[in-house]
Amino acid sequence: MNQKPLKFFATILGIILVLALPFIIQDRYFQHLLVLSGIFIILTSSWNLLAGFSGLLNLGHAAFYGIGGYASALLALKLGISPWIGLPLGGITSSIFGIFLGIPSFRLSGPYLAITTIGFSEILRLVSMNWVDLTRGSLGLYGIPPLTSIKLWNGMVIKFISEQNFYYVVIISASLILLIIKRLIDSEFGISLKSMREDEMGSESIGIDTSRYKLTVFMISAFLAGFAGALYAHYVRLISPEMLSLGETFTILTMVMIGGLGTLYGPVVGAVMLTFLSEGLRFLEDIVKLDIRFVIYGALLMVTIIFMRNGVVGLFRKKSQD
Amino acid sequence: MVKRSWMVWMAAMVICFSLMGNHSQLKAAEPFSIGILGPFTGSLAFNAEEMKKGMMLAVDEVNAKGGVFGRKVELIYGDTEAKPDKGVAAVKKLITRDKVLVVGGGYASSVNIATTEVCQNEKVPIVVAIAISPTITNRGFDYVFRTSPNSPQFLSGMNDWLEKVKKPKTVAFLMENTDYGRDGEKIWSAQSKKIGAKELAHLYFEIGDTDFTTQISKLKELKPEVTFNIASTTEAALIQKQAKELNFVTQWIGVGGQFTEAYFKMCGTVCQYAMGSSLEPTLAMKNPIVADFVKRYEAKYQKARPGIFSSQGYDNIMVIIDAIKRTGKLTGDLQKDRDAIRDALRKTSIELSQGKIEFDKNGQVYTVVPSPVQVHIVDGKPQLSIIYPPDRAGAAYQEPLPWGKRKI
Amino acid sequence: MESLFLQQVFNGIIVGSVYCLIAIGLTMIFGVMKIANFAHGDFSMLGAYFAIYFLLLISGWVGWIGALIIAGIGVGLIGLLVERFLFRPLLTRWTDIDIIMVSIGLFIFLENGARLIFGTAPKMIADPFHSQGINLLFFSTSMIRLLCFFFSVVMIIFLQMFLTKTKMGVAIRATSQNRNASLLMGININFIYSITFVVGSVLAGLGGVLYGTIFAVFPMMGAMPTLKAFAITILGGMGNIRGAIFGGFILGIAETLGGNYISMQYKNAIGFIIIILVLLIIPQGLFGGRQNK
Repeated sequence: MNQKPLKFFATILGIILVLALPFIIQDRYFQHLLVLSGIFIILTSSWNLLAGFSGLLNLGHAAFYGIGGYASALLALKLGISPWIGLPLGGITSSIFGIFLGIPSFRLSGPYLAITTIGFSEILRLVSMNWVDLTRGSLGLYGIPPLTSIKLWNGMVIKFISEQNFYYVVIISASLILLIIKRLIDSEFGISLKSMREDEMGSESIGIDTSRYKLTVFMISAFLAGFAGALYAHYVRLISPEMLSLGETFTILTMVMIGGLGTLYGPVVGAVMLTFLSEGLRFLEDIVKLDIRFVIYGALLMVTIIFMRNGVVGLFRKKSQD
Repeated sequence: MVKRSWMVWMAAMVICFSLMGNHSQLKAAEPFSIGILGPFTGSLAFNAEEMKKGMMLAVDEVNAKGGVFGRKVELIYGDTEAKPDKGVAAVKKLITRDKVLVVGGGYASSVNIATTEVCQNEKVPIVVAIAISPTITNRGFDYVFRTSPNSPQFLSGMNDWLEKVKKPKTVAFLMENTDYGRDGEKIWSAQSKKIGAKELAHLYFEIGDTDFTTQISKLKELKPEVTFNIASTTEAALIQKQAKELNFVTQWIGVGGQFTEAYFKMCGTVCQYAMGSSLEPTLAMKNPIVADFVKRYEAKYQKARPGIFSSQGYDNIMVIIDAIKRTGKLTGDLQKDRDAIRDALRKTSIELSQGKIEFDKNGQVYTVVPSPVQVHIVDGKPQLSIIYPPDRAGAAYQEPLPWGKRKI
Repeated sequence: MESLFLQQVFNGIIVGSVYCLIAIGLTMIFGVMKIANFAHGDFSMLGAYFAIYFLLLISGWVGWIGALIIAGIGVGLIGLLVERFLFRPLLTRWTDIDIIMVSIGLFIFLENGARLIFGTAPKMIADPFHSQGINLLFFSTSMIRLLCFFFSVVMIIFLQMFLTKTKMGVAIRATSQNRNASLLMGININFIYSITFVVGSVLAGLGGVLYGTIFAVFPMMGAMPTLKAFAITILGGMGNIRGAIFGGFILGIAETLGGNYISMQYKNAIGFIIIILVLLIIPQGLFGGRQNK
């Protein structure tokens, strides 16, 4: 049976489904979850670049997310800069901070790198909590302007306040970013990253400048996370230092591990699954009278690593190889 | 392989959407629902539970008498975790998914500043129960109301007392690093300047901190006559205990929200002499409406003491239900009903456990007046007594004694 | 005559002694098994909760001491199970990163499980002294804090004796330094792993009871001690117990002095700043430990 036309057809169907989703299901809360999933897809994919493809365990990733959000929000609130420009600027700000984590990663690995990254994000979180003049501390920033409306040639104005319209911004961003990541990991750069992950000393011996690669991938990963943070800031329009918390990083980590570390679609599956499961499991609360969702996530994480090392995507991969 | 991955993705989405699908049905037309926000997890949780108890007392009473327009009242809870972004998510869900008529509850100023903005944008009336930051009702939001006094109102009696009676020469601040803490700090700092007291230090802590020895040691060296301490139950109790352990004596003055049953259980008689402003119903038993509320509360909850949060919760729900009743009928058109409730709320005038509730043009209640209180030890147990103004005072102010001289 | 400086130093020593107990457990486990356990602080939390419930049965002095014993036994058993069924099967199969992830999963599971079972409201471990303070010449503190300090010191001394004077203790140190050689010498590695993990967890559990007595007990209380324990182990050198002891006191004092003279609000950041500085400048820690690659 000829695979190619089938693959093509499935892809087109998938794209149409995704684009039409908000029109098929009009429930505003459902659309809200779609937007959140999209933002998390970008966030998880960025973390996956580091941990999955490069073998760099970054437990301070939430800091990049938060910095992007705060940067874009502050630029909009204090300098009146358009949020559209704020999105990449937030990414760039995070990227600069990415340098601070990239450099230690030259010498540190495994748990030592992990602890350093935690220290990094905790310090930044404390700064965002205590530099009240800039960030309003734990009160957070509210009243963040939404993405500015676009006026079309025929006079119609598209506003980006509703979940539905924002969804399109997010889904297009996420798709572009996934495309870029795919290109990246298939390129020479990506192959070098993967070889660095498997055997760092071996890679050095064949001439790969691991330091340069580490720095670059940190900066790219940070940029994407910051971009996601800026999206979040202009969507929810309220952010607080919680964005930089360890809990946020653990959420990202759980999503990627369950979805499938080191794969392209693993983070996507994980992000969508956990965002919607979060809602879907609420009915358990009525049965057990307690919120056991996080207990389940913890257990799921442990079970996944022990039994399903490559996550959900890995499960499907194995089947296709049988 | 790409095809497989797409399939994986879509399969996952389908599974999750179907799980979700079970629960996004519109809430049935009856009973009708009021959304309640509160920090039901986290360190403020048990105060939120107190608020909930007061609310449930109100709901049970109303439903027992046939509900409103023959329909029962139902409360749907949204957990804010005392965090602004979670609060926003919770209130959005109540509004868009649960489609509540009106939002009540709410505890913690930082969270409420954010949630009220959402409600204003979504045109849903919200009646804030427990939060004192003035910002909440001074932005010209017509859908926002508040049944709790704001901080200037809360502290006016205390400020009077500071100016006319205590007249301290030195003060210090140990504040929760939130809107709640910082707003009070601004008011008291201004008052200190007004009465010529020297501000020796401004120290802070986060909700959830448990170690205050560094801050208290520093205060001990500075020896302020008065230490303003805005904190919630747990932190406030720990501060009292650690002050004793470090042998630090000062006149502690807080807002009063920390004087809950849990607080007294945690610090026992150690908190003797601490002061605050209180709306405790048990202090106003001369008012028959209040006494009746206390009786009914104790009957329902078996001798549990109705503190400030339960009475504020109770009043919050009663005000909302009273407004719904005064709209005359519910049309079933969500936006029309919400607007009608908003209009009815504006005209509220009702006597409840905190006293009379009426709103000014900003939606702020102005008829509830807290009084300065101090913890006195009566029969070996800590108790609040009103100490000012003289016509309402139940006992005289006591100067804090050094630890060695205290009888307990 | 009270001195603020000495008072803060003393505050730091007291808090540092509790940190020590928790950190020693972590560094032992890392030294012997190469496991960086992010759920370590949760053992402290569990120990504290064991104490609370035991004290409901028996109160006062007897209760408090009994609580320590019960907490030790309880956490030891849990540690045994966790080591045997969660970590040991993974040691040979997976990488460093996987083990960290599993411990993170354990952390999420335990912390939220505790929230469900015990509720989020903070609880107090009843102080048998009833917050009575004591004035020593240059500073004040409470009787209970003093007691906790002495208890920690005694435990540390016992541990050192165990490690240097008993056969098992020597075997643990040998495995920590060179696992293959120890294997060749006939040491039962699996048994050593279990003992090490149990001892480390018990120390954490006891530290948790002390921590809970001095401060408060709540489900999320394990997170900060875990991070501080990591800071201490890195400062002292991963696997280096003497280093962990010094590190614990250094961190405790640095926090109180830093909080007092530099900034109260960034007190908790001090631990992290130390980690970063040490790792950048002296990767093997102040006292030398395992190399980090």
